[in-house]
Amino acid sequence: MNKNIFLIIVCIILLGSGASWVIQKANSSYELTVIKKVPAFSFITQDGLSFTEESFHKKATVLDFIFTSCAGPCPIMTNNMTHLYEDYENVPEVQFVSVTVDPKIDNASTLKEYAKANGVKDDRWQFLTSDIESIKDLKKNGFMLYAGELPRGHAIKFVLIDQDGQIRKYYDGTDKASMAVLRKDLNNIVNEIQS
Amino acid sequence: MNTFRKFSYLSTGLTYLLIFVGGLVRVAGAGMGCPDWPKCFDRWIPPTSLEQLPDHIDPAKFNIVLAWIEYSNRLFGALVGLIITITAFLAFKYYKHVNRIKWSVLAAFFLTLVEGWLGSILVDTVLNPINITLHLFMALVIVMLLLYAAQEAYYVENPDSEKMSRYPSNLKWMFGLLAGILLLDVVLGTEIRGGLEMIRKDNPMVESQFLLNMLGPFKYIHTILGFIITGFSGMLWYRLVNNSINPSKIMTQISTAILGLVLTQIIMGELLVFLNVIPTIQLFHMWIASWILGLVMVQYTAWNQSQLTHE
Repeated sequence: MNKNIFLIIVCIILLGSGASWVIQKANSSYELTVIKKVPAFSFITQDGLSFTEESFHKKATVLDFIFTSCAGPCPIMTNNMTHLYEDYENVPEVQFVSVTVDPKIDNASTLKEYAKANGVKDDRWQFLTSDIESIKDLKKNGFMLYAGELPRGHAIKFVLIDQDGQIRKYYDGTDKASMAVLRKDLNNIVNEIQS
Repeated sequence: MNTFRKFSYLSTGLTYLLIFVGGLVRVAGAGMGCPDWPKCFDRWIPPTSLEQLPDHIDPAKFNIVLAWIEYSNRLFGALVGLIITITAFLAFKYYKHVNRIKWSVLAAFFLTLVEGWLGSILVDTVLNPINITLHLFMALVIVMLLLYAAQEAYYVENPDSEKMSRYPSNLKWMFGLLAGILLLDVVLGTEIRGGLEMIRKDNPMVESQFLLNMLGPFKYIHTILGFIITGFSGMLWYRLVNNSINPSKIMTQISTAILGLVLTQIIMGELLVFLNVIPTIQLFHMWIASWILGLVMVQYTAWNQSQLTHE
């Protein structure tokens, strides 16, 4: 009997340490490599203010490319972004940026209305516009994203940018499971900023 | 020991290990480690590099550690499923005329198929909390059915093992009630975990202890039920060990073990609340609950055997 109890205890200790090891491995498995730095740019926000690559500093940023009259994937993307915007309400280190790919229609005032319609009530979520060539250039060369026939041919990615203005990872902005990964990574960046 | 009995114990033991591995997937946050089912990133062996990913899956979801944690649960699950299938065949071979053995193993077999299907639904619904609870609940039912069949087969082979013992006769309802409350409390426990996760999503960067305070009243119900379970298992211990004549060795040991484990559970639960939600303790908290359920099943079969012997 004593021998059995001893065996059970040994097994439990082994299982427990194995489990702790696996959990620890899992927790440290969220790798975030540095892909590249976002190049210099200067766009205009929905409030008519300037937004440049400097605006990424000391913030964790989630950025996407949309246009307000888009009926395809944009509503899903903006809906996902809205959830993030609401959930990260008390984390001032996190900001959200949506860049229009249709500057002809999406001027500052259109974007402001779009922001309001999506429940944006502070400066944690910025909507940017510029001229079509600058947008195309930033998207294609700055973010290495597809920029074919804009506005319709725009990428559906969310881009995670760190406190030094570096691109860290891309996510499918329409995928629920990808959003869960994004949240994990975002928290890790915030931890980096806070420490 | 005949082959069926060997396999019934083997499948019970392996199912217990599988419950542990499944819980590990949960606490390691690896449930979506493979975003498709049954393959992992469209491969039978999970990919090792980003280049191997298929085009239709977002590479952001690829995490080799999480993929392997999740995939080991699936591989191990497949193995256990195979062993249970063999056990079901053997039940029909050895105990064709003992319905309670035959049918309980067959039920376990069918529930195992359902369990696999539920696993695929879990991935489809991106870990819907209700499905997670159901997935665990089903595993507990399966392990109890297997253990029941194993014990019943033991008594078929050793009909006199409870010959000397005399237990109070009106206890059947108590076993049923205890098992029911135990299952209910496991469900409430998974709700606490699921609730914590939802609050964590809405409040990123907030410590677990604060999140626990935001949880609704069901966290108290979980604890209160824990105390009720302690009372019940204490009562059962008293009636089966103290209030009986010549209780068998297995009865004494099992009843004492149940009581000891229930007390351990209360200590672990309080540790989780007051220290921090430590994943390893969380995992054992769930696993020990599954042990208690199994032991109550063993306790019941021993009592039942004694009743049948003295009819």
